Amino acid sequence: MSDTLAQRLDSISAEFADLEPRERLELLLEFAEKLAPLPSQYQAERDAGLNRVHECQTPVFLWVTTDNDRVQIFAHVAPEAPTVKGFVSVLVDLLAGAKPEEVLALDPNLVQRFGLAESLGMVRMRGLQAIAHSIRKRVAQAAAA
Amino acid sequence: MAKEYAHPEMLVDTAWVEQHQNDPAVRIVESDEDVLLYQQGHIPGAVKIDWHVDLQDQIVRDYIDKDRFAELCSSKGIGNDTTVVFYGDKNNWWACYAFWVFKLYGHANCRIMNGGRKRWELDNRPWSRDPEPQYPRTQYIAKDPDPSIRAFRDEVIKHQRAGKPLVDVRSTGEFTGEMLHMPDYPQEGALRGGHIPGACSVPWSRAANDDGTFKSAKELEKIYAGEAGLKRRAPVIAYCRIGERSSHTWFVLQYLLGFPKVKNYDGSWTEWGNTVGVPIEKGAGQPVPSAATASAEALRSGS
Repeated sequence: MSDTLAQRLDSISAEFADLEPRERLELLLEFAEKLAPLPSQYQAERDAGLNRVHECQTPVFLWVTTDNDRVQIFAHVAPEAPTVKGFVSVLVDLLAGAKPEEVLALDPNLVQRFGLAESLGMVRMRGLQAIAHSIRKRVAQAAAA
Repeated sequence: MAKEYAHPEMLVDTAWVEQHQNDPAVRIVESDEDVLLYQQGHIPGAVKIDWHVDLQDQIVRDYIDKDRFAELCSSKGIGNDTTVVFYGDKNNWWACYAFWVFKLYGHANCRIMNGGRKRWELDNRPWSRDPEPQYPRTQYIAKDPDPSIRAFRDEVIKHQRAGKPLVDVRSTGEFTGEMLHMPDYPQEGALRGGHIPGACSVPWSRAANDDGTFKSAKELEKIYAGEAGLKRRAPVIAYCRIGERSSHTWFVLQYLLGFPKVKNYDGSWTEWGNTVGVPIEKGAGQPVPSAATASAEALRSGS
């Protein structure tokens, strides 16, 4: 992982943006399908409704750790919400192993770069933006703890 | 008490849809909250119509106009005589929304597949991951929007002042004004929480069974006519946050219970709760008295 986080964001967002709108959705679906299942140690908390992202109508659950100054994100998103699941999966993939300060230095409106607005519409874009903001907030909290 | 739906022909079941998936007189349309569900798997032969991308104007807060609606239908191979069957996720919430837009532009033959995606899955019917099929173009002619099913703000203000029935189909927390939406989720936003004074609260999902199908006529009658006290002949306006959940209730009242005068107020709470000077009620209490009453008067007379 020699590239910086900002470079990796450029690369993944460009990969999306360079595709045809229909292919972007297919790539997002691929990400949705490869989101790792929630590790067993978090499942009880999820089942108890803890760590839910309340900004999002879709049930999204996030755990952010910053052990050894490296960000790790574990997530559960309902299978009937593949759009949100796909975007969460992109972020989990992108941010894993980054330093908290690198994550906090990213453009807070990074979702705009993926070229998804045309396929998703404004309301869904704001939903994804809320998730990106929520992850940022949790990274800041975990780093401060 | 009604024993049967008023218009049972508006519903088809999953078996009917499977039998008609290659019927050229029928077009199956998937409309979902989640835009990727169609890609993840859809009914073979179905086309996709998305409520944000296809049915909403992206600049003005409104639906696509008549000409663009006609173009959308033509491009999906929907003719004026085609029977269009809608289905989707979340108890057919968005399917009903798309259905309502088709009715707004006067499409004659619209149906809902009872139970939507959930029922199709429970019935173990096949999903397809093929790209969206392309059907031969049609020359669709759309009608002017039908004002009998859509309510605008000033009309709702008059309706409310006259004490006519309104159904608020949002969750109880949204109705009472207790639920505060988070600043990170601005599309949920209204500057005031509560409901239109005098509205009754019937959360939309009460009309659905666990498998996504509609409740029986008897159960629906009990909820809407019994508990909510709606009178069949009275003009009813249903609303929610942006008019999506209320199109589900609109379908129930209009076609399953046969209420003759039902409108959907798509401006809904994101318009009402952000409008300067309109009266609001919180909890189960009385309208909040304030300068609002005078302003609403001005708004009314200016309209």
